[in-house]
Amino acid sequence: MYNDEVMERYQNPRFYGKPGKYNISLEESSTTCGDHIHFYIEIEDGKVKDIGFEGNGCIISMVSSDLFCESARGKTVEEVVGTDPDKYVSEFPVPISPGRLNCALLPLKSFKKVQEKLKK
Amino acid sequence: MYDVRTIREDFPILNREVNGKRIVYLDSTATTQKPRKVIDAIVDYYENYNANVHRSVYKLAAEATDLYENARKNVGDFIGAKQEEIVFTRNTTESLNLLSYTLESSMKKGDRILISEMEHHSNILPWMRLEEKGILLDYAKIDSNGYLDIEDFKKKLKKETRIVSIVHQSNVLGTINPIDELSSLAKENGSIFIVDAAQSVPHMPFRVNENFDYVAFSGHKMLGPLGIGVLYGKRENLENLQPFLRGGEMIKDVDFHKVSFEDSPIKFEAGTPNVEGAVGLSAAIDYLQDLGMDNVRTHEKQLTKYLMLKFADNKNITVYGPNEAEKRGGVVAFNVKNSQLLRKAKNEGIRLDDFIHSHDIASFLDDSNVYVRSGHHCAQPLMRTLKVTGTARASFYVYNDFEDAEILASKLGDIGVQ
Ligand SMILES: Cc1ncc(COP(=O)(O)O)c(C=O)c1O
Repeated sequence: MYNDEVMERYQNPRFYGKPGKYNISLEESSTTCGDHIHFYIEIEDGKVKDIGFEGNGCIISMVSSDLFCESARGKTVEEVVGTDPDKYVSEFPVPISPGRLNCALLPLKSFKKVQEKLKK
Repeated sequence: MYDVRTIREDFPILNREVNGKRIVYLDSTATTQKPRKVIDAIVDYYENYNANVHRSVYKLAAEATDLYENARKNVGDFIGAKQEEIVFTRNTTESLNLLSYTLESSMKKGDRILISEMEHHSNILPWMRLEEKGILLDYAKIDSNGYLDIEDFKKKLKKETRIVSIVHQSNVLGTINPIDELSSLAKENGSIFIVDAAQSVPHMPFRVNENFDYVAFSGHKMLGPLGIGVLYGKRENLENLQPFLRGGEMIKDVDFHKVSFEDSPIKFEAGTPNVEGAVGLSAAIDYLQDLGMDNVRTHEKQLTKYLMLKFADNKNITVYGPNEAEKRGGVVAFNVKNSQLLRKAKNEGIRLDDFIHSHDIASFLDDSNVYVRSGHHCAQPLMRTLKVTGTARASFYVYNDFEDAEILASKLGDIGVQ
């Protein structure tokens, strides 16, 4: 339906499921889609040591979550939070139409809450 | 003769090409396209008549006021109502909110409001607001075929039920509710009966009957411009209601601490109204009447029947709502299963939805210029009842033809086999 890379990721996500150890858990729902994503993140020394996700939603949001986990791993929380949404979308393996931006940006939006959680 | 080819010519936007191909517009339930006649009427209004209405004495103002009031009369005639029973609002949503705010003062804790499980958020949230006052909101159930469960409706129509507000045609299931029967039941019970006619007035012959207290609909869903809606209210009802918004236009006399309001319907139209919208809506009504509402209904029924037959051939497609085209409008909500995707996912122990997400369906169809809506269609309680997060939805109007339905069905056929 989209392209092979996207469909392959959708069917074989690399980061689906809980990592062995995690200290932060984040849930995000998209009201317009009924998408629901749950991230599990292990933060150590301000860095994303491990990350995984569960949930269901459209192909774009699922693939985006998987790609997001891949790119976040090993980065500092600041780096990940500072991800430029335009750049993120432009690097997505298929073009994202304006009506689907929310689907693609769901993981970014969700991850922003990590900082709040760390403060607590 | 109803000839879609010539009708299509009347709609400039349908001549637009995207990526060198024509567009297949299947989202008229959300909003309809506009014929040249409506666009021209709006341009003509601004080029020749524009002035504020009901205020000034010069000729232009008188002509603008005439146009505005004639539009009101035309709307009234279209649904069998008197001119003074037509209040112009922005849309169905505003019409229903007007009722929620103005009927509130006559309601008390323990009173009940009866709606159904297939309502649009516009006919839920204005009533849910009153729950804060201790008023109870009841939902009549739907059955497994997408019809309103009349027995459940009767059971929930209680002594305390002050208001019954029901959608005439569902914007998702397409179900056409038996509003004559429901209105009789409501009246026998002494309840106020309100019809959300956003999807019926545009698509079928519609006459108000004496059991309807109020009817709400939107101009933009019936070939008219955005920003103009209608609230019909029986004359004595409107006279007894307090105004909604207050300000210019809607008064007879204002003293420092006292005001007397204009008669209805002007009482409900505070501030400068949307004259352009009323004029455009009136032109849309003329256009629909030239086609004939019986013909519009018949045309949509044929397209719906055809699409549902095509869908029945595709085992991956689940359609929601009644099977009989006779009892449903020209809107078909559906989901698509991709068995290949599912099988693979199962093998690897990963949980995927049974259906391809409706947004993915809509994006896929978008690649071929086939425009359908996806998501919850502003009817989340209904989605919960159907146990889905959303659906795709195709809807027909005067300018759609069998080819549109054919293209949709065949594109969806492609999804299953890739
Ligand atoms: C059945 C129904 N009621 C109410 C509405 C709300 O209409 P509007 O957005 O024009 O106020 C809609 C529009 O989608 C509808 O389909």
